[in-house]
Amino acid sequence: MGEQVLTRKKSRLLRELNTIIAVMARELTVFFKSPSTLVLLFVIPIFMMGLIGGNILGIAGGEGLGTFMLVGMLVNMLFMVTAMGMTSLVDDHETDFNQEILVSPVSRYSLVIGKILGATFGAIVSMIGTIIVGLVMGIVLPTGQLLLILALSPLMCFAGGAMAMILIGLIKNKKTANYAVMLLVMPQMFLSGAVIPINESNPVLLVLSRIMPMTYCIDLARTITSVETPLFNPIINFAAIGALTLICLVIGTFFFARSEKNK
Amino acid sequence: MIPADNSAIVIEVKNLVKRYKGAKAPSVDDISFSVKKGEFFAFLGPNGAGKTTTISILTTTLGKTSGDVKIAGFDIDKQAQEIREKVGIIFQKPSLDRQLTAEENIRFHACLYGMCSYRPTFKLMPKAYRDKVIALAEVMGLSVDALFKPVRKLSGGMQRKLEIVRSLIHTPDVLFLDEPTQGLDAVSRRGLWAYINSIRNQFGTTIFLTTHYIDEAENADNVCIINNGKVIACSSPDELKKSLLKQELILDSQNRNALMSELSALNLSYTVAEHVIVPYTDSPQEIITQLKTKLSVLKIHEPLLEDAYIEFLNKTNNRTEA
Repeated sequence: MGEQVLTRKKSRLLRELNTIIAVMARELTVFFKSPSTLVLLFVIPIFMMGLIGGNILGIAGGEGLGTFMLVGMLVNMLFMVTAMGMTSLVDDHETDFNQEILVSPVSRYSLVIGKILGATFGAIVSMIGTIIVGLVMGIVLPTGQLLLILALSPLMCFAGGAMAMILIGLIKNKKTANYAVMLLVMPQMFLSGAVIPINESNPVLLVLSRIMPMTYCIDLARTITSVETPLFNPIINFAAIGALTLICLVIGTFFFARSEKNK
Repeated sequence: MIPADNSAIVIEVKNLVKRYKGAKAPSVDDISFSVKKGEFFAFLGPNGAGKTTTISILTTTLGKTSGDVKIAGFDIDKQAQEIREKVGIIFQKPSLDRQLTAEENIRFHACLYGMCSYRPTFKLMPKAYRDKVIALAEVMGLSVDALFKPVRKLSGGMQRKLEIVRSLIHTPDVLFLDEPTQGLDAVSRRGLWAYINSIRNQFGTTIFLTTHYIDEAENADNVCIINNGKVIACSSPDELKKSLLKQELILDSQNRNALMSELSALNLSYTVAEHVIVPYTDSPQEIITQLKTKLSVLKIHEPLLEDAYIEFLNKTNNRTEA
């Protein structure tokens, strides 16, 4: 037969960008083919914001605590759902699809970045769910503030996804990966001040909170909503999120590439 | 047969060792071989011999314990990315995304290899891509309908065909085929080999094959046999056969005694079983033309590569046991 030739793109940068888009598109395609995932992303906010948040509000009460908690939960959901989405890398390992991905001539960073961006979509859906649950509970954020948080959400998801990569890069079993994500996300929810203020934390917990990107994301979101006196200047928040995300991304991608290769 | 380019070595393996974590013995134990550009190289061995481990190392998906590997002149330790640009692989184990359709799997692969920009639907993809997908699917006997079905709804054989189509969508310089025809029907198997020969002709693609169907390696330029992680033979199929097996003429006549007397008179050794078997080295014609007795049976027994392969494995196993 006459061989039809597809020529390879010359620009390395364009090829890497194309890879990021293709990996992200694959995540979205799979996402839309799974209605149960979509339903779950609306159920999780009911549990997180409605039950946990509702209980804390019932105990502590107080003016402004509702908004304080909604902002914390929004960021927490972005982190949690992105991290959960990253466990699809473990699925790919279990189905050997990682072979296909890792033999391709693209940067491992492009693969991981594409994955995080794909998982970001699901996280934003759950964020919308959280806003709806907040509305039902009578907690309302001004539209401008919501849009600002929405604009920052990809950055926050990126931080959460990169952090999850450190654990997921080392795990080869889906069940373990699910536990590991919970282990990563749940302590962060309390240590970063998502549901309760951390000003009065003991020194050890305070140090832990400072090495978590979620602390800075929540502080940034609260600066936008003016719900509490921020811990840091927004520039420090951006710098800390950027630095911690970069460190997590490099370590996580290294673990991911290495664990597949070193058997 | 398509001649290999003697001037360029495209795969160079020196003293390669791979020992998996916690394993007592290495899976690949100090093997060395080289493959020339455009060569059809067959890497044969029983289950667990170290074939897939070697392919995984050569395609950069598995780290080696020691040794040197160069693909297309690039060092595997320092230039893995450059090597990935040059190679393609049909994996032994299925590696498809079962949640996507067949075509979505192919599209994803084409994008990872930079063959075309990502578009959300097949119709929006470039014409060259669409034409190639359809053409390759036809070669492998994969219907257009099947291309748009979720992978999980395809049979095992169809999934295998899909994997092959996916691997061939970017035409690599070196194509690794790890038991590519396992689970394929005869028609698809023939179609695949015709296509592989056509890309060898057109692009000088180097083929590195592992298979348990030894007849697929009969046309190889060179064959390497591996057993228990060690290379036990490496040569052309003809030389491997000649080194171990005799070519034989199978004769018989209504007057068998006259035939045997004639063979003795010609100083030719023979054995008698169902027929009279005469081993020869050069040409059978020389023997046949000298015979006056009327023959009732005349057959030439050409040894198969499979015979030589089994002989080599038996010899090694006997040596190990001894």
